[in-house]
Amino acid sequence: MSMIDSLLAGLSLVSNVYAFLALFGGIIIGVIGGAIPGMSATMAVALTLPFTFALQPITGILLLLGVYKGGIFGGSIPAILIKTPGTPASSATILDGYPLAEKGEAGRALGMALWASCTADLISNLALILFAGWLASFALSFGPPEFFALILFSLTIIAGVSGDSLLRGALSALMGLLLATIGLDLVYGTNRFTFGSPNMMGGLNFIAVLIGLFAIPEIIAMVWNPTAHIGKTRKLGKNWVTFEDYKNSFKSIVRGSFIGVFLGSIPGIGAAPSAFLSYSEARRKSPNKKNFGKGEIEGVAAAEAGNNGVAGATLIPLLALGVPGDVITAIILGAFMIHGLQPGPMMFVLNVDIIYGLFIGLIVSSIFLFLVGSVAIRGFKYVADVPKRILIPGVLVLCIFGVFAVNNNIFDVGVMFAMGWLGYFMMRNSIPAAPFLIAFILGPLLEDNFRQSMLMSGTDFTILFRGPITWFFWAATIITIIAIVRSTIAGRVKTTPQ
Amino acid sequence: MKMKLLGALGTMALALTASTAYAEYPERPINMVIPYGAGGATDISARTIAEPLGTAVGKPLVMSNVTGAGGATGSVVVQNAKPDGYTMLFARVGSHSVSPAMKDTLPYTLDDFRFVTVYEINPVACAVSPSSGINSMDELIAKVNEGGVSYSSSGVGSLLHLAGAMVLNEYGVEDPLTAATHIPQKGGGEAATAVLNGTATFICTNTSALASFVANGQLKPILVTTAEPVAGFDAPTSADEGKPALEKLVGWTGIAGPADLPDDVAAKWGEWMGQAAGDQNFVDQMTKRGSVINVMTPEDANTFIQEQYESFRALVDELGMRIKG
Repeated sequence: MSMIDSLLAGLSLVSNVYAFLALFGGIIIGVIGGAIPGMSATMAVALTLPFTFALQPITGILLLLGVYKGGIFGGSIPAILIKTPGTPASSATILDGYPLAEKGEAGRALGMALWASCTADLISNLALILFAGWLASFALSFGPPEFFALILFSLTIIAGVSGDSLLRGALSALMGLLLATIGLDLVYGTNRFTFGSPNMMGGLNFIAVLIGLFAIPEIIAMVWNPTAHIGKTRKLGKNWVTFEDYKNSFKSIVRGSFIGVFLGSIPGIGAAPSAFLSYSEARRKSPNKKNFGKGEIEGVAAAEAGNNGVAGATLIPLLALGVPGDVITAIILGAFMIHGLQPGPMMFVLNVDIIYGLFIGLIVSSIFLFLVGSVAIRGFKYVADVPKRILIPGVLVLCIFGVFAVNNNIFDVGVMFAMGWLGYFMMRNSIPAAPFLIAFILGPLLEDNFRQSMLMSGTDFTILFRGPITWFFWAATIITIIAIVRSTIAGRVKTTPQ
Repeated sequence: MKMKLLGALGTMALALTASTAYAEYPERPINMVIPYGAGGATDISARTIAEPLGTAVGKPLVMSNVTGAGGATGSVVVQNAKPDGYTMLFARVGSHSVSPAMKDTLPYTLDDFRFVTVYEINPVACAVSPSSGINSMDELIAKVNEGGVSYSSSGVGSLLHLAGAMVLNEYGVEDPLTAATHIPQKGGGEAATAVLNGTATFICTNTSALASFVANGQLKPILVTTAEPVAGFDAPTSADEGKPALEKLVGWTGIAGPADLPDDVAAKWGEWMGQAAGDQNFVDQMTKRGSVINVMTPEDANTFIQEQYESFRALVDELGMRIKG
């Protein structure tokens, strides 16, 4: 069967109204689900799964993919408007999105988030269609030593999101690393810092930490000083994102998309680190470096490109190898299996019509996302016009509800408030929260992969340098560290009074 | 004012509990705790049975994932719940037979739960990567004796962890814990990937987790632990290999309540499960995923789990796998 035949077979599968309706409906569900803090894209996909059982395989899977893609974009809406990431992947969007909203440019930030998301989505889907086989075999060459080197390199992001003081950033990262050690030890199965509490055995819930760290400090600050915001205009603003903005950020968007494609095709990393990596790269390359973190539109573009770039690429290991890269693709894998389909190399032979049907659906999904997103922004814009004294209590209720709903556990709500006070303390002392979060995500991955490498080699450290991939990331890490040290020293010389 | 309100609330609460005692169970929605994450084997199994089960129960089932610590966090929620039948748990082989057998650090024991059913059995298979050059259990054992063999699992205290050690032990490997290295991963998907990319040599896990890799020729099955062959797995069974003890090594999903669950509630569940598992749609979906549907009565379920637990516990003690602190 030639490619044209496969394409036509795929087209005949999706060329019915139901497939597109499912995709469109899925994106709507996803955007709404993603926009509710604590609901997260993962939960939206999990809740949609049972509805796909009765559908045709291709229709059901397109529905789930729609929810997934919509959810990843939807998370940026509350991240920008109320500083509460709707889904962990959008935590990097807060860094510049919320300051923009504070300046009365929420509309511009949301618009840019949508444009960047759709562009990255398209690039990611094209990468899936064109390079799936090649990227999948590359992903399989990632064992624990390669992961270790990659994550070590990713930790250098911390320098990029530390703001003015690298020392404060490092302090924040250390706290993140410390709290990430709570829970069960991976290799021995023993309890670490759980103080005998079963609630602590699973570690601190990620979403509780995330919301506690970003949203709650704003609320505490408001309680502390209820009239601080009066006199500041905080509106969606007349400013809409312009083509000029898009053009200026285009390089960052494309770079972020490729970072997303790369990290997405390797199972086990996920969208949040990709968004942060894309953000810190954009900052490093930008002439407006100083403005990052204070409301730079390019920062929003880079973060959103980084997380949506992952969305198509995570399907690469799923379709080509049958390996789910994260929780969401694990759920989608479940949907394949329930319909008797087994993703993997043979699927490209046995069910090539479904593969091509999916590809066609995915390309269309980028366009649908743009349509649904534009409407959603218009719908949610009224949030930006709500006076802060009314908005903030609402946000608090939403945060408590959201964090509780993740695990139906009141303990998580306690974690959220504890983290909120920590976040408030950090805010008052200008310690940035982003390094904390990155360390909290990457720290356990670094440790686990290190220990798995040591188990593999019988505690022989040379395994950490076992091949070209590890060499590449070790070199990249060293170069980045040298660059950070040099720019820090240069910065100090500049600011020292003559 | 405040006192009045409290008084009113108290009366209401009293009225509610009073009516609970007399009314027919269930008279309100039942909370079903899934102690594993969305999309995992337990979650999909639970959500698949929730549909026909909800019809049989006649009240909504509220499904909630309470994840963490290899199923322990969610199990503790049900352990501490009121034994009124309104908070029930989807228990799994890992959380309710391997972990209790292996971990002294667990905040619960089997005695803290009363099982109302086990409805699904998952056969276990061992597989290697085709590029490893291993074609049978004997070749694997020969490699183990040479050294450098490892196996992956979804974590300490998981079925996969115990399965690897148990299979090696049955094949006469002396001191399997040092002869082969256990490389724990963060989940079942990661564990299979570890064998795909050469991080570990072999894996023993539920056939449903391996089915697509085997169908695609990415992994090669070398043993099935049931006595009967499993469709799609071209490998000798435990009966072929003359290792009947391995038949204990199966995965399962069941439903449990707190220890003091009343008899009539347990009996109700037995009835509902009989109805739910008769649903053809449910059976089709589960068998497609490689499960064997076998609804046990509350008594059978308790015996089945207790027996598996005892044999696992004996093995853990024999091999010195217990986790103490």
